Order: sequence, then C-alpha cells, then structure tokens
Amino acid sequence: MDFRLTEEQELIRSNMREFAETYVDPIAAEIDESARYPAEVIEKLAEGGWMGMPFPVEYGGQGTDYLTYAIAIEELSRSCAATGFTMSVHTSLSLMPIFLFGNEEQKKKYLPPLAQGKHIGAFALTEPGAGTDVGAATTTAVLEGDEYVLNGTKTFCSNGPVADTYVTFAWTDKSAGRKGLSAFIVSKGTPGLKVGSHFMKMGIRASQTSEIIFKDCRIPKANLLGKEGDGMKIAMNCFDHGRIGIAGQSVGITQAALDESINYSKQRIQFGKPISKNQAIQWWIADMATDINAARFLTYHAAWLKDQGQPFTKEASMAKVFCAEMAMKHTVKAVQIHGGYGYCKGFKVERLMRDAKITEIYEGTSEAQRMVIAGTVLR
Amino acid sequence: MPEILCCFKWLIDESYIRASSSGELDLETVDYKLSNYDRNAIEESVRLQEEYGGTVSAITVGLPDSTKGVKDALSRGPEKAYFINDDSFENLEPSQTAAILADIISSQINYDLIICGEGSSDLYAQQVGPRLAEKLGIPCISYIQKVQIEGDRIVAEKKVEDGIEVISAPMPVLLTVLPDINTPRIPGLKDTLGASKKPVINISKDDLTVSYEAKIHTNAIIAASMERNCQKFGSETEDIANLARALAKEGVIK
Amino acid sequence: MAGVWIFAENHTQGLELLNTGRILADKTGSRLLSFLWHDHQVAEDYLACGADEVLLLPPLEESQPLEAYIPVIVDELREGDADIFLLAATLRGKDLAARIASRLDTGLCSDCISLKLDEDNTRLEMERLVFGGAGIQKVFCSSRPQMATIPPGTFEAAVPANSRREGKIRELPSSPATAVKILEKKAKERKSANIKEARRVVCVGRGIEKEEDLAMVREFAQVLGAEIACTRPVSEEMRWLPEDLCIGLSGIEIKPDLYIGLGISGQVQHVIGIRDSKIICAVNSDENAPIFDVADYGIVGDLYDVLPRLHEELGKLL
Ligand SMILES: Cc1cc2nc3c(=O)[nH]c(=O)nc-3n(C[C@H](O)[C@H](O)[C@H](O)COP(=O)(O)OP(=O)(O)OC[C@H]3O[C@@H](n4cnc5c(N)ncnc54)[C@H](O)[C@@H]3O)c2cc1C
Ligand SMILES: Cc1cc2nc3c(=O)[nH]c(=O)nc-3n(C[C@H](O)[C@H](O)[C@H](O)COP(=O)(O)OP(=O)(O)OC[C@H]3O[C@@H](n4cnc5c(N)ncnc54)[C@H](O)[C@@H]3O)c2cc1C
Repeated sequence: MDFRLTEEQELIRSNMREFAETYVDPIAAEIDESARYPAEVIEKLAEGGWMGMPFPVEYGGQGTDYLTYAIAIEELSRSCAATGFTMSVHTSLSLMPIFLFGNEEQKKKYLPPLAQGKHIGAFALTEPGAGTDVGAATTTAVLEGDEYVLNGTKTFCSNGPVADTYVTFAWTDKSAGRKGLSAFIVSKGTPGLKVGSHFMKMGIRASQTSEIIFKDCRIPKANLLGKEGDGMKIAMNCFDHGRIGIAGQSVGITQAALDESINYSKQRIQFGKPISKNQAIQWWIADMATDINAARFLTYHAAWLKDQGQPFTKEASMAKVFCAEMAMKHTVKAVQIHGGYGYCKGFKVERLMRDAKITEIYEGTSEAQRMVIAGTVLR
Repeated sequence: MPEILCCFKWLIDESYIRASSSGELDLETVDYKLSNYDRNAIEESVRLQEEYGGTVSAITVGLPDSTKGVKDALSRGPEKAYFINDDSFENLEPSQTAAILADIISSQINYDLIICGEGSSDLYAQQVGPRLAEKLGIPCISYIQKVQIEGDRIVAEKKVEDGIEVISAPMPVLLTVLPDINTPRIPGLKDTLGASKKPVINISKDDLTVSYEAKIHTNAIIAASMERNCQKFGSETEDIANLARALAKEGVIK
Repeated sequence: MAGVWIFAENHTQGLELLNTGRILADKTGSRLLSFLWHDHQVAEDYLACGADEVLLLPPLEESQPLEAYIPVIVDELREGDADIFLLAATLRGKDLAARIASRLDTGLCSDCISLKLDEDNTRLEMERLVFGGAGIQKVFCSSRPQMATIPPGTFEAAVPANSRREGKIRELPSSPATAVKILEKKAKERKSANIKEARRVVCVGRGIEKEEDLAMVREFAQVLGAEIACTRPVSEEMRWLPEDLCIGLSGIEIKPDLYIGLGISGQVQHVIGIRDSKIICAVNSDENAPIFDVADYGIVGDLYDVLPRLHEELGKLL
C-alpha cells in the first residue's frame, strides 16, 4: 500500500490551489450573490488544460489519471463549489460518456473542442417526472430516415444555458424496459432544441441550471451514442464517474469550512479568550478534520480503482454519500462556530453551507447511493 | 540569442511553520515550495526568451529529495535543469551555495545571463546572487524591476532607496529580480506533465572542484514572538510622549 | 591593526552604525573606522560621534554606481586587517556587502537585528529574522572580518561627544572604472495612494464624530507619511471614505510597518485585515475595547484630545 501522491499530483494540486486563490477566490462571493456564470474563469481553466484532464492527448485532453482529476476538483471547489461543479459536469458527465461510448468519428468530432474547453458540455437526463426514478422519463427519440426526432422536456440541466454539447437520453423503444433508453449527442443550435427556464438556487448559484426542451428536434442518426438501448448503461456509468467528482467537490467544501473555522475560532474572543480554547469547539474541529481525512481517502480510493481498471461503482457511491453528508454536517457546524456572523453574507461559511446541500441531492441523492450500495453488498 | 540560466531553491513553505509551546520552531509538518522570488526569476528568464529567443536552463543546489522542486521549476518553462545534490546540502549558508553554483557553472555551463531572485523566501539573506557574480567575475545588477537586452548589453532598472538607477552592463551578467518585475504564470497541466520529460542533469558532490566551508554558523533558530505587546498608556502628555518614543524605537515612523 | 569598520549610504545611517560600532570598538579594544562618500563635510561630525578615523571615498562620476567603491573598500579592509565590518542594509548596501564578503572570502549576516560580543569579546553573536519573520536565526561568523548589514533604524544614532575627540581623516584613492554604467537616475515617483503597499496607515473608525473631523486626521497622516483608511461603518454606513479604503474581512488586508487605529473597537472582521501589520497602535476611549488585545501600543483616551498632542510629539521626532 502506498498512500503517497506522485510528485506530479502534488504539483498539480498546488497549481490548482494557486489558480483558485488567484482567479476564483476574489470573485466567488460575487458570482454566488449574482448567480453569474464565471465565463472568464472557465476560459482560464481551459487555457491551463483543466477542462479535459483525464482524456488522451490525441483527443485534446491532458492524459492525467482520474485521481489527479478528483484532486483538482477538490481544490477548485475549496474556493468555489459552483465552479468546481461546472468543471465536473463538463468532464464526468459530458466528455466521459462520449469518450467511453462514442465511436471514433464522434470522438474526433466532439472531444477536442470539449477537452480544450472551447466547448462546454452538459448532461440532460432528469425530467420533471423522472428524478431518482430515471425510468419514468418520457422523452422519446423516433428514427425517421437518417434522423432521430427528439421530443420531451429535461430539467435541472447543469451548464444547460451555456453548453455547446449535450449528452441526453430518450426512449427509442418504450416497450423494451430499461433496454429501451438510448443516449444521444445534441449540439447547441440544433433546431427544436430550446433552453427553458433557469432555476434560481439555494447554493452553487454560479452554476447555471435550466430546462432543456426538445420539440421535434432532429439530430443525425450518427449522434446516437453507443447502440440503441445502451442509454441506461451509459447514464449509470456517467454517474459512477460523476460521483467521484462530487465526492471531491464535497471534500473541497468541507476543507474550506475547516480552514475558515480554524481561522475564526482562533480570532474570536469571548469570555476573555479565543473560542478555540473551548473544548466544545475543539471537538467539532477535530471531528471535521478526521472526517475530511476519511472522506478524502474514500474518494481517492474510488478514483484509484477506476485508474486500475477495476470496478468502482460501489466505492464511488460510498465516497459520494459519505463525503456529501460529511460536507453538510460540518458546514452546519462551521456556521455554528461563527455564531451570528456565520449566518450573515460576507462570511464564507454561509455560502459553504448552502453549497454543501446540493451534494446530497444531485448525481443521485444520498438515498439513491444507499440503494446502490445496499444492492451490491446484499447481493 | 541569449543563453539564460536561472537559479532556484526548493525550500520550506513558511506558512506551515508553527511555534511549539517551548518556543522552538516546529518544522515537522512543513511542506516545501519553490522560493517565491525564484518564480519571478524563472518567469523573467522565460519572458526574455519569448522576446529575444535563446535558451533557458535552471539550476539548483539542494538535497537529493528535492526532485519535486526540479519538476516545479521545469514546469515554469526552462528546457532543462542542473540539479546539484547531496545529502549534506542541508542548511548551506549563502557563501557555500554561491561557491558550489560558481564551480559548476564555470566548468559546465555556457551562459550570457544568470537570473536569481532577490533573496530566498526562507533565509532571505540576499547574498547568493551577488556572491555568485563575484565568483564568476561577471557584473551584477541587483534588485531590478525591469530589464531588456540591447545588443550585447543588458539595460535594467535597479531599485535604490530614493528612486531608480537605469543601469547598463555588458553580458555575461547576473541579475537579481524583485517580485514586482512580473507576475509568474501558474503552470497549466501540460506544463506540469511535460516537466517530467525534460532533461535533468544530475551533478553530485564528487563533481565539485572547490571547497566550500561555512563561514556563517547557526547556533539556533527560535520562534519569533508573534504576541503583541499590549502596552497601554494613559492620555497624559507624558504618556503620549512615551508612546511616540516607543514608536520611534520600533523604527516605524521614519 | 584590527578594528571595527562601517559603511553607510547616508548620514543618519552612518550615525547609527557609529553608535553601535563605538561600543564594539571599546569592548574589543580596537579602533572604529568609517568610510564616508556622500558628504565629506560631515567627516568632523563622524569623529565627534565616535569614529577614530574617517576614510573619504572620492566622489563618483555621474555614471559610476556605488559598487565602484568595492575594490577600494576591499583593499582597505585587507590592509587594515579588519575584524568587524558593518554596513547599513540599504539595497545598494546589501549588494555591496555580499560582494565584498565574497572577495574577502568571509561570512555575512544579512539584515542583522541584534548583535553583541561573546564573553571573550571576540566573536559577534548576531540575530536575524527568517521564514518571513516566524523565526529568529542566531548566527556567528567564523572568518574575518565578521560582516553584517544592519537595517536602518535598528540602532539609535550616535550623538557628538561633549569633549573634543581626536581622530584622523584620510583620503582614499579613486575607484577604477566599472563595466557597469548608470545611464539615468529617476527619482521616486510618488505613487497614488496604494493602501496595500503603504508603510504607515492611519485608520479611522466610528469614534470619529463628523465627516469634517477627517481633515484633522488627514493632516496627522500627512505628517507621518501615512495613508488613510477606515472601518466598514465609516465607508459603508457613513460613506465618508470610499469603500476601497475599508480594511477587514469585506475590505482589504494590509501589512504596513505601522497601523494607527483611531476610535476603532477592534472587531474581528476588522482585525483580520490588519494582523500582518508590524506595529499596531490604537487610540480608544474605552479601556476594554478589544482593539487593545491585538495592539502593541494603546492610548486610552478621547481621540479628539489625544490626536493633536500625538501629532505634536511625533512631529518632534520626525
Ligand atoms: C442544482 C442541480 C443540478 C442538477 N444537475 C443535473 C444535471 O446536470 N443533469 C441531470 O440530468 N440532472 C441534474 N439534476 C437533477 C438531480 O440529479 C435530481 O434532482 C436528483 O437525481 C433527484 O431527483 P428529484 O429532484 O426528482 O428528486 P426525487 O427523485 O423526487 O426524490 C425526492 C426524495 O425522495 C427520495 N427518494 C426517491 N426515490 C426513493 C427510493 N426509491 N427510496 C428512498 N428514497 C427515495 C430521494 O432520495 C429524495 O430525498 C440536478 C439537480 C439540481 C438540484
Ligand atoms: C459579515 C460582516 C463583515 C464585516 N466586514 C468588516 C470589514 O471588512 N471591516 C470592518 O472594519 N468591519 C467589518 N464589519 C463590521 C464589524 O463587525 C464592526 O462592526 C466594525 O469593524 C466596527 O467599526 P468601528 O470599530 O469603527 O466601530 P465601533 O465598533 O462602533 O467602535 C467605535 C469605537 O470607537 C470608540 N470611540 C468612540 N468615541 C471615541 C473617542 N472620542 N475617542 C476614542 N475612541 C472613541 C468606542 O469606544 C468604540 O470602541 C463586518 C461585519 C459583518 C457582520
């Protein structure tokens, strides 16, 4: 067993830290407040090669392993969970399915601009009536000649309003059960593709979330990802990858909460001494630090399994649910440590607590993760 | 086209340093980093290369396990690195570092321009640059804020207390740069991953031809008291005069 | 003829080094020799202030940098078998020191903040800051001369002796030409208020009653050569100063040599922005104000009463 990161991984971590401190920290509160998409930061991320980390150089990527990618998401999210999520959705839920399930032609066409960050990717699966229950989706794809005709409404699509390339899912054969769902690549500007209403959210406000509406949206037959009927498999595979990113995001959020809590508790004087001298506060901070360690190891382990080419579905779910719940629990504590100030705008913990909540919901709720985990351990 | 050599040091990141309860510095849990000012030195070397062409190499003296530092430096642009390392190269004092660098540079490396940071962010003795220039017998322009190449000369803006001296010197020349000379780029992924593929010339103690005993010896490094004075005065005129004198003594009102 | 030798860029620094140099010379029973280049008129003053000999460096040509003196100084130190050589730690002084140390193959303690002789009065025990101020390094030099650069202001300036002191004044040979030339000298441009870089900051809080009273604070700041800044209520609520002068959590962080807070309670949101200041000084009428817990020096009193007098007292020292 070797718990050491490589020198490259450590350097990449500190470069991402420096990147985030330089370009993200100064605007994080502002883009949260105004729910603004930080296009300028995404552009800078693209310049640095961060928008296509775990993909081969021939497709415009950087050829890192998945662990390095998880580390980068963690460090970016430590400064701004929304920006971290933008990068994560783009990488894990949009590039990854095209890379893993696309044919050579699709890969050559879509991956380079995405991996170079010139295009932004999104993932449109959830529908108003189909959240955890993916099978309840109603969007359909009907083959007419050389084209599929898509009809239906997707919701909660992250990067929806800013994306160039969507990976989406629709029924090609409603009678075939799980095997009737298929995955498609849809480009921005395709007639019949419309960005619907935007959601104003509690947290990760700088991440752009909207409906995506398909109304007689005709896409070339060549945009079918994998085979007809592969949709469910592809969606689940996306989640396996995405959950490692969300786990990393959660670790980053909690690390930020710890940083803030240590800082504040040493400064805040009550009863003539810093509040950090009280054992109650010390224990909260000790628990926070301990859980972060545990969470980080779960995340890195899941990523490492993926890099080793081993199955990692269960471990990704474990990492995701543990990290997400840890983030929620400890950001609440971090606000508590800050007292009334923690409840006010201007203190980072206030944002962290709002941001943390989403990690328990998207890419499979905590309950859905437990279903996955139980499903494997009770088998 | 200039051949540029930049010097760098891999050192303790001071933000990790804590004082133990006994007043010692706790260096157990520290992390390491590329000296802040050396980032400016490397950046300026690369910037000059972008403007005038030529080559950029980097050189360091350090412990054998500073390989991460060598990669870090290479990820910032130099094409190759000279890595002079030995287990005994811990806590070298500036005259030793300068002697070792001078020995290797004069015997193995072609250069027109050597660029150092104004000091290292750990000891900040600000000696290695000027001492190295002396040992190599080349001119030195220290504390510069701006530099350009004009033919076979360097023209640099050197900061002095009451302003700036615009200095011209023939190459080869050594420069030490101030942090405001540039803003170092943050290495992107390609830079970091590419750094591992660049050549590193390992140089051992056996390759040295000079001796380099320490002249400055460290008895101890203790924690500087971070505590505030917390001295309160009343508002009598005598109190105010005392406060004024105290501030003068601290050297903060000149 | 071992002795203590000093070099400074200007007069005040010269007097400071004379003061400490005299103490070292007395203890080691040797002579104190001072180089002098900027103003030969003060040679007599130097003798009066403790020097046994003043060594006049001939004036430089416009294009000659200070480093032109290096060979002359090196020759002098060698011939005189100098035991201790102290230089004022100005930018050029530090450069000069490192290069002279290299030529003499000796050690140099940079930015020495404290020095004393050991029990035998032979070895200098010196201290300097390392790790960005987190540590104090205690060093000695095993070779001769023992060299150190000393930041201006570290020691008090020497004052002339009451009785007439005897001493020599000697002219040194002029310096050889250097390959390095000064093309032009530019005076320091007075930068527009950059609060983040300011060496001194006077910060006002809600203890100031009316906007007009800022004039008095401005005058005070001007005398000190300080920039003016404020707490959030002053910029945000009263709008007496622009927001970019607000220090603290929602404003900026500063690290001046001297911070003087006037009528500021010292809430953590503000204090976060000033904790890297070298010296924190506060005036507040409430002796329990938290600002006093994070201040080096505090005056408990009404700022309207204190400020004019502080202005006056500091004025005397500037
Ligand atoms: C900010 C944000 C961004 C998003 N980004 C995307 C995106 O980019 N692409 C995309 O496709 N989707 C996205 N989503 C959708 C997200 O993945 C879903 O919200 C999530 O899967 C849950 O679905 P739901 O909201 O419909 O909740 P529901 O499925 O209605 O769940 C409601 C509650 O019931 C619980 N529950 C449901 N079924 C069970 C069960 N069988 N057993 C126990 N408990 C159960 C859930 O855990 C939850 O607590 C995003 C959502 C948000 C809020
Ligand atoms: C989220 C958040 C962010 C914040 N960010 C910042 C920030 O970035 N910067 C900031 O400064 N504040 C910030 N604050 C506000 C901060 O909490 C304090 O309210 C503020 O610093 C107090 O400013 P003050 O010291 O000027 O005023 P007060 O707290 O009202 O203190 C005035 C002081 O002046 C003294 N005084 C009154 N009259 C006199 C007199 N005649 N002579 C001498 N002393 C006198 C009083 O004893 C008192 O101690 C923030 C608050 C929150 C909640």
